[in-house]
Amino acid sequence: MPDWFKWTAPAAALVSVTSAAHAVQYLSIPQAQKLAFPSASQFVETQAGRAWKAQAGGRTLGLFVFDHVIGKHLYIDYAVALDPGGRILRVEILQYRESYGGEVRQASWLAQFVGKTSASPLAINQDIRNISGATLSSHHVTEGVKRILAAYGHGLR
Amino acid sequence: MSDRDRAEARAVYSSANLPPANPSSLPRPHRTATLSRLLAAASLLAIGSGTALAADDQTAKPHVSNEALLKQLEAMEKRIKVLEGRLKQQQASPPAAAAAKPAKPAAAGPYAQAADAPKTSAATAANDPASEPARKPILGLVDSPVPGLSLGAYGEFFFGAHQNPAAGGQWQNGFDARRFVLLPTYQITDNIIFNAEIEFEHAGSGFDNDDKLHGTAEIEQLWVDFKIIDQFNWRAPGIDLVPIGYINQHHEPTQFYSVLRPELYNGLIPSTWKVPGSSVYGTIMDGLKYQVMVSASNEDFGDAFDSRTEGNTVPGPGTSYAAGINGHDALGFSNPPLGDFAQLSNAVAVSGRLDVAPAFMPGFAGSVSAYYSSNTTPRGAHDDLGNLLGNSSLTMFDAEFRYRVPNSGFEFRGEYVTALFGNPANLRANNDSDPTNNVGKTMWGASGEVAYHVPLGTILNSSWEAVPFYRYTIENLQTGGFAGTDVNEPTGAGQLQFHNVGVAVFPSPKVVLKGTYQKVINKDPAGANSDSFLGGVGFFF
Repeated sequence: MPDWFKWTAPAAALVSVTSAAHAVQYLSIPQAQKLAFPSASQFVETQAGRAWKAQAGGRTLGLFVFDHVIGKHLYIDYAVALDPGGRILRVEILQYRESYGGEVRQASWLAQFVGKTSASPLAINQDIRNISGATLSSHHVTEGVKRILAAYGHGLR
Repeated sequence: MSDRDRAEARAVYSSANLPPANPSSLPRPHRTATLSRLLAAASLLAIGSGTALAADDQTAKPHVSNEALLKQLEAMEKRIKVLEGRLKQQQASPPAAAAAKPAKPAAAGPYAQAADAPKTSAATAANDPASEPARKPILGLVDSPVPGLSLGAYGEFFFGAHQNPAAGGQWQNGFDARRFVLLPTYQITDNIIFNAEIEFEHAGSGFDNDDKLHGTAEIEQLWVDFKIIDQFNWRAPGIDLVPIGYINQHHEPTQFYSVLRPELYNGLIPSTWKVPGSSVYGTIMDGLKYQVMVSASNEDFGDAFDSRTEGNTVPGPGTSYAAGINGHDALGFSNPPLGDFAQLSNAVAVSGRLDVAPAFMPGFAGSVSAYYSSNTTPRGAHDDLGNLLGNSSLTMFDAEFRYRVPNSGFEFRGEYVTALFGNPANLRANNDSDPTNNVGKTMWGASGEVAYHVPLGTILNSSWEAVPFYRYTIENLQTGGFAGTDVNEPTGAGQLQFHNVGVAVFPSPKVVLKGTYQKVINKDPAGANSDSFLGGVGFFF
């Protein structure tokens, strides 16, 4: 069908020019760390590839935890920043791979996690909104954040 | 810290004190669990050394020095690697016993125990960031044999009583394994994603008399996505869903509350509307997404596949054939064929959607979408008098919203869809000697739905929710502007109203148990005779 080629050739050409150049990674771990703790002078890795203590002048600002959950089928990389009291400062999506459900990246949705602690319900349709069209992703990210709070959210000394 | 959290924490920490069991002497699932415990213990010790966690936990051992802990850790890591190697060797055949384990495979990371905790039910992730990505299990049973490959599924089964219009509205009982769909996804690279849906309808197909099957095995989606930048991604030509409305692309049974799919998607939008197509999509800004697709056009041919000629035309003049677009089934029989170069026209359709979820209105999501084909008339189309039929375009518009009112149980949904036919005189239904199934210049439908979410508390370790709902739908598939060679005597069967009332119970967001009473009203003096009282089970994971 020649019509097919007419329609898809420009897209194919564009893809071949640009594809290798970009990854759909929104933030690297260092970028996310800087975003979560802008005043930190160093991040001390307390668990390889997973947890970092954010420090400034010998003072601990909080903990940065990197993790991933499965969205619908593929991994969503996300990070949670906790203050020394175990309260969420920030949640960021670092990488989202699937074609549907990327709405979990929305700042307004992620902002709901700020201030949550391990004592918060952290349940979809209770204290976190469901996202229509991203049901599995929103549930799984919420579960992931809750899991991080369960493991790390007891506060730092 | 709640009692439950405390219990979870205890479960985690106490595992650190387990005696060093010899895993090879344990049955396989137990060994896996032991492995995960070891890993959990190792990781938690690491956390403990770095951040002095859990001051209130009496079982923590703050006096052990960090160096000693690190040494222990290293030893444990080595041991774990050896054990993992052994496990892999022994798992050449999938362990049948793993099926009995409700959680997905033992998470290999620091949250292994937390993941298994009932309240978090977060066993959805393998948690070793150092490992290759995506060791997701296949159907929750075994590890994926190929890193990056995952297999999800959805399905729905109906049962109950319905009026059979072919039996004068007699109430008949029945069961239908309506669909079971496997969803393989393979992350070829971070930027190239393969996706497919393999669907078995009505329990599949079989040909022997004892099979008692009349279903299908079909490919419902098959495409490769090139993720380029957030604003622009490309879906290579494949089988894909027309981006119109909401339910066509999100048709899993957990996405709607009635047993049957919403009525607007039962013809007016010929769901599951799958076509050979290619699209681009992306995010324009937070809360605003687009998709544009080019695809093979729908065709006004609703007869058996085999009645296409070798020349890819409809049967020759003098031979009658069924319309793809008609006043009773709307566009239900007009989807283009997906294989064998058997399309009956060269026409290309363009469709597109805009999805909006504004930040200033939390809980609201909506979309507008459209579809246009310059011609739906198949090659060689003719009326029953032997005259050839000319072109007729098809234009569709859809607008819909879903609004889950924040801090309340209420949810509202609404939708409007219309189809416009460029030249109804060229539609087969208007030239097929059937005076009752004629089509006018337009068809339209609208629906409104209210649902209320009621938490049922924790049952069987998950949070249940009941969603009673009511949906009203009105459709007019036989509006004015009729033209063609047929006598025009519609019975009113194309003017429909539906009342759906029922409840959907979600034991988890991934499972739904439904009950729906549907009342169907049309303007046919004989009545619609299509009411039903159905139960359903659906799942999506």
